[in-house]
Amino acid sequence: MRVLDYEIPDKLYYSKEHEWVHLEGKEAVVGITDYAQKQLHEIVYVEVQKEGSVVKQFETMGTVESVKSVSDIFSPVTGKISKVNNELTDSPELLNQDPYGKGWLAKISLTDFKKDMEKLLTPAQYADYIKTMET
Amino acid sequence: MSKALRRTHLYQFHKQNAKMIEFASFQMPIWYKGIIPEHMAVRTRVGIFDITHMGRALINGAKSEAFLNYVITNDASVLTPLSAQYSTMCNENGGVKDDLIVSRLEQERFLMVYNAANREKDYQWLLENAKAFNVEVEDASDNIAMFAVQGPNAQSTLQRIADTDLGKIERFKCGWTKLADVDGFVSRTGYTGEDGFEVFVLNTPLSNPQNAVKVWNAILKAGEEFGIEPCGLGARDTLRLEAGMCLYGNDIDEVTTPLEAGLGFVVKLKKDSFIGKDALTTQKTEGIKRKRVGLRMLEKGIPRPKQEVWKDNTQKIGFVTSGTFSPLLECGIAMAYISIEHAVEGETVMVKVRGKPLKAEIVKFPLYDPTKYGHARQR
Repeated sequence: MRVLDYEIPDKLYYSKEHEWVHLEGKEAVVGITDYAQKQLHEIVYVEVQKEGSVVKQFETMGTVESVKSVSDIFSPVTGKISKVNNELTDSPELLNQDPYGKGWLAKISLTDFKKDMEKLLTPAQYADYIKTMET
Repeated sequence: MSKALRRTHLYQFHKQNAKMIEFASFQMPIWYKGIIPEHMAVRTRVGIFDITHMGRALINGAKSEAFLNYVITNDASVLTPLSAQYSTMCNENGGVKDDLIVSRLEQERFLMVYNAANREKDYQWLLENAKAFNVEVEDASDNIAMFAVQGPNAQSTLQRIADTDLGKIERFKCGWTKLADVDGFVSRTGYTGEDGFEVFVLNTPLSNPQNAVKVWNAILKAGEEFGIEPCGLGARDTLRLEAGMCLYGNDIDEVTTPLEAGLGFVVKLKKDSFIGKDALTTQKTEGIKRKRVGLRMLEKGIPRPKQEVWKDNTQKIGFVTSGTFSPLLECGIAMAYISIEHAVEGETVMVKVRGKPLKAEIVKFPLYDPTKYGHARQR
């Protein structure tokens, strides 16, 4: 669905820190939302923790920088990073161009997604949340 | 109680076209299309900035020159009418109160342009020190709109709406001209490293913004064929950093001297007494202990203010005061103060970017190739 100026795909889960989660069996692909990339604008640097790192839900898993600002990326789930999107090192602009596709950040082997899910938002909930941010 | 944010004459334009931020108690545009395209427009074509938020004071009277030579570090006596110079203004300890541009309008009348963040401080400082000189200091900030038109096509753009030959105005010279039939004043100065002009629309209070809006729109129209972009404070910052120009509050402040900042060329110690002279003379004799340098990252990562600079991971030698991503060089760049024995061009140092040591090279300003970019480029 599209809310205001922002794309919010239906099959994903969302966090209030503007990350998305795509469930693939026991793994999750994570990234930042269209809203996040539009707020950051012109992303010029992305750093995600190394493969094998253990990350906890809502704790820092990396950093994203625009020309002027630095923001933390908070992992939307708990688990171990199994793969990092290395293309972002040379092409951080993929986060702006395709936040739900080529701009994915990492794959995470999930520890207990049922527990993570309790604190994540559905697309409809995230859409409502975005509306409150914009007013 | 917090004061309401100030606006410039172009507020409606900015609000409709730009992402806005608060800067020095003003609501200002940070970018329209984006920092990178605006930056590149100025480096390769032309851009226009609203810089009305800056402070402006008019200094009148027979002793204006003597007064200026007492408050600033550069020598105002070398200014002929319709010429301008960059200077610092120091406190008694030689720390920088502000950096500014002084233009001599007439033999006994000067215009001083200083930083937005220092508007009240500078005006009070000028008033206080003017008493002994019997000169008039007028805060003209709210009565003048000010735009910067910068880039290799700045002159061609402005010439289309000017009624005088702008080609006769050399760098750091000024002139009176009508722009789109509005009375204006221009100086061939700027904060980007590029050729360009700073345009003053006189007698245009906020309550009556028509002339300012008219000139702004006329410049945008005149620049269309050159691909002009309106530019925000974001590009202003990346451009000045590439050019090696200081940002007050980051790279210079009241505990930093112009000598440490590499601004010795605007400190004229041979002048008669001026504020800060004794302290600066002592520092010059004893030698500075730290110095502002340019850094270019050799690894991926963007340096940011307050990050530490180290030598060989063993010795802390300084800290970053400004850092960003360079849209032109496509890498991290910075200004840093480092201890004098390590401030050697070509040396490799480490910047601790969020705790992680990343290699950077000490480079001279400007950070771009001056034969290809900037006002001295080979055409």
